[in-house]
Amino acid sequence: MTSFLRASRADLHRYLERKATSAWGKLWAILVNQGLQAVLIYRFGRLLDSKKKVVPVWPFLAIGWIAYAVIAAVIRRGYGISLSLSADIGEGFYIGHFGGIEIVNCRLREHCSVGQQTIVGCAAQIDGPQIGHNVWIGAHAKVFGPVKVGNHATIAPGARVTKDVPSNALIVGDPGRIVSRRYDNSRILP
Amino acid sequence: MWSELRADFKLYCALRFPDGASVIRRALLLFRSPGLLVLAIQRTHHYFFDRRLRDGWTLETIGLKFLLAFARPLALIIAKSDVAASTEIAGGVYLSDRGHLIIGPRRIGSGTLIHDRVTIGVSAGGEGPPMIGENVWIGPDCVIYGDSRIGNGVAVLPGTVLSISVPDNAVVSGNPGVIVRRDFDNTYLRRNLACNIDRESFASR
Repeated sequence: MTSFLRASRADLHRYLERKATSAWGKLWAILVNQGLQAVLIYRFGRLLDSKKKVVPVWPFLAIGWIAYAVIAAVIRRGYGISLSLSADIGEGFYIGHFGGIEIVNCRLREHCSVGQQTIVGCAAQIDGPQIGHNVWIGAHAKVFGPVKVGNHATIAPGARVTKDVPSNALIVGDPGRIVSRRYDNSRILP
Repeated sequence: MWSELRADFKLYCALRFPDGASVIRRALLLFRSPGLLVLAIQRTHHYFFDRRLRDGWTLETIGLKFLLAFARPLALIIAKSDVAASTEIAGGVYLSDRGHLIIGPRRIGSGTLIHDRVTIGVSAGGEGPPMIGENVWIGPDCVIYGDSRIGNGVAVLPGTVLSISVPDNAVVSGNPGVIVRRDFDNTYLRRNLACNIDRESFASR
């Protein structure tokens, strides 16, 4: 429960951009950011998933699963953001826009960003991508298969990653190639 | 605003009903085309911003604000598209009905066709949005970003990732995008909604 609250707060603070911390400001941020709604529902689903071994809360879990299934389906159909519970996403996750986002069977650490039309992971793979912290994944990027992406790496819009990526690298193109090994992405991470 | 929307409607009718259609079928297009809905709401939003800057909060602008507060989220879910309100869109533009458009260029010229799953916007490094010329054909799955200028009559082939300026009547392709041809007439691409492109003919040149 504490990890759920901490992760949700970290997600919210990614969207607030260090301003407007009143309760109305937070509510407004949830209302206008489709990505934030999707991430919060994903966190709720992970909370339910982590509590399935605790027998006394099973009646509440049943209600929770129904609510989760309905809202997640609406978000998947309405916004096209599909965050599978098989993905392990670290706190402070940022989704820039909506549409065509699919994150399945992978491990993302803290403070990652993804854009629209991004696919991370692959359902057919046994071991999905392992992505470090502070990684910026641009729009239309694809990260497939059992690859490792280092910390502070930057994947440019439209890039396709099929090999391991070192830390602080900038990946461009299809198939992706390393353009720079010392690229600072602190400016573009919100 | 109305004359531009009428031009859009004419282009949509020409593309959706190449053999002509009855008045009823054309009127139904107003409700059945998500791309037209997005265009109408974007034009209203643009008009609203202009009016609010000029007149401030009047009865008209307050009414438009309420209308947009409900219409924009609805259009977002129906069309799955988000077009920035600051964009200046000329009359007679086609946005794909399949949606997944996240576009916010500075300007879009008339006669431009934009297919589905296209992203046009600012570069994350802080550069401004691009400018799209007239009679441009943009295929599906394209990304155009950065402070660039896409010339008139350009064809952007499907799956292109573009961050450079393109001269008039050129063809761009690839990821990262490069100019593969410099004199190309894209009229046949803009005539219908199919993107029947012979990639071999571009690769050989």
